[in-house]
Parts: sequence; C-alpha cells; structure tokens
Amino acid sequence: MEELVALKGVTRTVVLPDDQELHILRGVDLAVHSGDHTAVVGRSGCGKSTLLNLLGLLDVPTSGELNFQGTPVQQLNGGARARLRGEAVGFVFQQFNLLPGRSALDNVITPLLYARGTQFWRRREIAMDILDRVGLAHRAQTLPNMLSGGEQQRVAIARALVRRPRLILADEPTGALDVDTGQAVMALLDTVATESGAALITITHDVNVASLARACYRLETGVLSVTDVPMGVSA
Amino acid sequence: MTGIISALVEAWQELRINKTRILLALVGVALSVAALTSVVGLGNLAREGFKASSEQNGGRAATLGIGVFGPTPPDQQKLEEAYQGVIDRYGITYYSHSDQAQHSFQSPYGVQQVNLQLVDPGYGVIHRLDVRQGGWFAADDENRLAPALVVSEGFYNAAGRPNLTTNPKVQLLGTQETTAVIIGVVPDQFPQAPPSAFMLTGAADRADISSGGFSQFKLWVGDDQAEALKLAITSDLQRQFPGMQVQVDRMDYASYGDPFATVQLAVGGIAGLVLLLGAVGMLNISMVTVRYRVREIGIRRSFGATSQRIFLGVMMESVVATAVAGIVGVMISVAVVKNPWIQAHIAPGLKEYPGFPVEAAILGLGSAVLVGALAGAIPALVAVRIKVIDAIRF
Repeated sequence: MEELVALKGVTRTVVLPDDQELHILRGVDLAVHSGDHTAVVGRSGCGKSTLLNLLGLLDVPTSGELNFQGTPVQQLNGGARARLRGEAVGFVFQQFNLLPGRSALDNVITPLLYARGTQFWRRREIAMDILDRVGLAHRAQTLPNMLSGGEQQRVAIARALVRRPRLILADEPTGALDVDTGQAVMALLDTVATESGAALITITHDVNVASLARACYRLETGVLSVTDVPMGVSA
Repeated sequence: MTGIISALVEAWQELRINKTRILLALVGVALSVAALTSVVGLGNLAREGFKASSEQNGGRAATLGIGVFGPTPPDQQKLEEAYQGVIDRYGITYYSHSDQAQHSFQSPYGVQQVNLQLVDPGYGVIHRLDVRQGGWFAADDENRLAPALVVSEGFYNAAGRPNLTTNPKVQLLGTQETTAVIIGVVPDQFPQAPPSAFMLTGAADRADISSGGFSQFKLWVGDDQAEALKLAITSDLQRQFPGMQVQVDRMDYASYGDPFATVQLAVGGIAGLVLLLGAVGMLNISMVTVRYRVREIGIRRSFGATSQRIFLGVMMESVVATAVAGIVGVMISVAVVKNPWIQAHIAPGLKEYPGFPVEAAILGLGSAVLVGALAGAIPALVAVRIKVIDAIRF
C-alpha cells in the first residue's frame, strides 16, 4: 500500500521561558500507509498531541524527516502546509470542537469553504451526503448544543471526512463519551475510514479504543515504540 | 476567485450568527453613513434650488450685463447698433434688453401698479424662466397689435385669473392707454410680491412705454469664454463711446463661487468624525470578537484555512457588515433627501427636483467599506498571529 506519512528520526524541542530546552519527541520513526488503522497510546504529557500536530501538518519537526505523500513537510511554507492539510487531513477532536451557533450542516460545510472548484460549489450537497452516511441527515439543521455527545462526535466525524481526506487524525475521540457511545463512534469512524480507504490514526489512552486498531504504538517520554498488546495503558 | 467568494460566504454566515451583537455595533456606522450621504444629497438639492432661483435673478452661467453710462445718456440708436455689432461679431445666440418701467393697469378690483420689465425673447432662456401657464414670447410676438404680456402670479391674481386660451386683455394706463394680452404666467419671485409683467422691448416702444432709467443688455455666453469676452466687449464699446463709462460684468451666481461649499465641508467633516467614531466602536467589537473566537480560528486552520484566508475572512466580516450598514445608511439618506416636505423647504424654487445624487451614494457606501476594511484589518492581524496548536486547545 502507498506510504502516506513517514517520520524518520523526528524530534520536537521547545525552548522554555527560562531558556531551558524541553525535548517532547525524541527520534520518532513511524510509517503510515493508506488504509492503516493505527493507535498511539501513552500517558498524559508524553507527547501524543505534539505527534498528532506533526502528523496533521500543524507543526514541523525540530529535526528529522517528515514526509507527507512523499513531500518533505519542512520544505513547505505555512500556506502550502495549510492547503495540503485541508485536502488530505481530517481532524476529530476529543471535545468535538463544533462551531457554536452553527447547525450540524453548517459545521460539516466549514472545511468545504476552504476547498476549490466542485467541492466548494456543491458544498451543501456533499455535506448532506456525509451527514446521511453518519446517520444524522435528519439532524442537519440542529445546533450543536441540541445534540447528544454521541451525535456531536458523529457530526465532527462527518466534518473530518467531508473533503475525503487520506489521513484521519482522531485525538481522544471517545474521551468525552460514555463507553457504549464511544464504542459506537469508534465503530463508525473505523467503518467510514475503511470505506474511503483513508488511514486512521487514533491517539488515546483508552485500551478499548486502542484495541480496535490494527497497529499500536506506545509513546513514553517522547520515544515511540511498537506495542503488540495495548492492554494496561493508563492515563 | 473561489477564495474571495468563500470568504464572503463565511463572513455572511458569521454576521447571520452574531447579528444582534453586530447590529448594535453597526447602528453608529449606518447613522454616520446616512448623515454623510444626506449632507451631500441635501447640499446638492440646496445647490440646485439656489441655482434655479439665482438663474431666475441673475441669469445662467455665464451671463454678461452690459451698461453704457455718461453725464448724458448715450445715443439710443447708436447703442442699439453697437449691441447688434457685439451679437454679430461674437456669434451670441441668446441676448436680451433688461429695462424696468413702472406702469399701472386696470384690474377688476381697481387701478394697480405694475413693475414692467422690458425684455427680448432671449430673456426667458437666459433666466430659465418657469412659465407655469401659457407660454413665453416668440420672436414675432413683437408684431402683435396688442402687446403680449407674460405676467407674474400676483398680476394674474389681480387680473382675476382669466383663462389664457381666451386671449385675456388688460388695460395698461398712462399717457397712452394700451390694451395688452396675457399670454403666460410665471411664479412670483417671493411670496406676496407686487404685480409684475414682462413685455417685449419692441412692443413697448410702439406702445410708448419707456424705461424708467437703468437699462442693461444681457448676453448668455460660455462659462469659459466669459472673461475674454468681457474684456473684448468693453474694449469695443469703449472705442465706440469715448468719454463714457462702459461696464461689462458677470451677473450670474457662478461668478461668486459655490455658496454651499463651506457649510457642506463643515457638516461633511462632522459626519466624517461620527463615521470615525463608528469605526472605533466597530474595531472595539471586532477585537473582542477575535479574542472570543480563538478556538474557532484554530479549528478553521486545522481544516485547511491559510493565514491569508483567516485574515481575509475576519476582515471581510467587518467589510460585509459595514457595507450592509452603508446600504442601510444610504437608504435612510434617500428617504430623507427625497422626502417631499424636506425638498420643498430646502429648494423651494425648484419645479422638478433632481434625482438622488449617485456620487453621494457612492461616497456613503465607499466610506462604509473603507471604515470596515480599516476596522477589520487590526483584528484580522491579531487572528493571523494566533497559534493554531494553542487555539485548538483554547
């Protein structure tokens, strides 16, 4: 399968206000292919979100190589990274991050406002289709605060998928949901990702969620390692 | 192109969602645009009204008044020949004598005084006279056996408001009684004005009605030629009437400059200041809004919005909002400027009011958009500087 994202010896270091360096990621190697479902587990503060930011082109490594669809990300400027992110990456956040005051449909339309051509002009139709796929067509005009947690996360999934991304990044997607709803949401996320052939990377510290992945990595003090059995992960 | 359209769509969506908050911020902008536009619109209306009444008094731009004076009056025939020479030499199309004569006439209510103005047919064009009933003099009216009169509303009332289609006659009294025919009616120059009437110079000569003293000859010439013609005509007549004083002066309002310019500038300046205050209010609201929307901006960035796009989006919200306020302001202004009561008070001399000036609408709308762009640029810069990673977790 086609290699989508490749990290080779990636580090991420930030300088603290007292001029000390904080090494968040150390020599991370990771390869993600189309259709993969990968979980990254680890304790809070171990660098999971930083890794997600790098994978989602929101940040660039301090050193090492990060290639996205064969393109070295460090060579892209902010605008090019943003365009690539819009076209190829879909985010699902823990707190759903739906835009308040806008209907479910308007929320799903949002990423299409940054698309060009047919995707922009047919945005309403495309958004309705994807809402239908996540079973929320009948709630299209409902505001986020009138939706249940599970419904909100399904809207967020629809929004992440609406531009047909090659990579879906889910940051603790079930963190704000009860167990049953979380399982239903994960099943949906897995199904739609598989159907569209996109790679799904889930960042979680929930063993149940991690166990749904076909590959699992553990991140500990900035070092990423393969783990076969995600059991025993705790926050 | 898609980027601009989608930024507009996004801006409109944002305005729709935050309409109450934005509406309050825009009240000031809409009112100041209305004030700014109204100043220009009403100024234009007042100027048109002033122009109409000034043209009726002093003539159109540029009207030259010629007078030749001396210890003894100049030879009338020689003067007429000199005037004709000026007309022929400089190809003047519209010209007229303008002499005054006091007379009396027999009205159904008794003998009344009338101020007769002895003119040529060109006078009606030069002074843009508004003939409300009947018509102005034609060139062959001079040959009528009964002199034609174009009378003022006051005269017409005193004569019993006869039907003009019946060729109503009035008796002009004096050393030689003359029967005259009313052919047209013009409005009074001011309310309760005493009766007055126009009569052609040639007809007055035959009726032995002579001017009471001050006599003038008027020419309507091109605005750009007025100064050169003034000098040339003065020189011509001075040569023909040595030892006499020749006066050639502009009579029209335009020679005194724009009387409304200062007032309009002052009121426009105040309106501009109000607009500036509106812009500051708008800027304040936008700054607060950006702080409140940090997470939203982060989410938009995560879905592919570039920093330029965020800048454009935030600025467009302000521009679209002030453009809507501008349209509302211009609509208020149109309602004010086209209000019949206001029109009648600002420009009482006008028969037909001018349309709403397009330049006023463009100025109002343009100012609103400019204010929107300026008030939107600073919050847009703040929005661009927001760090995406921090914003998503805000």
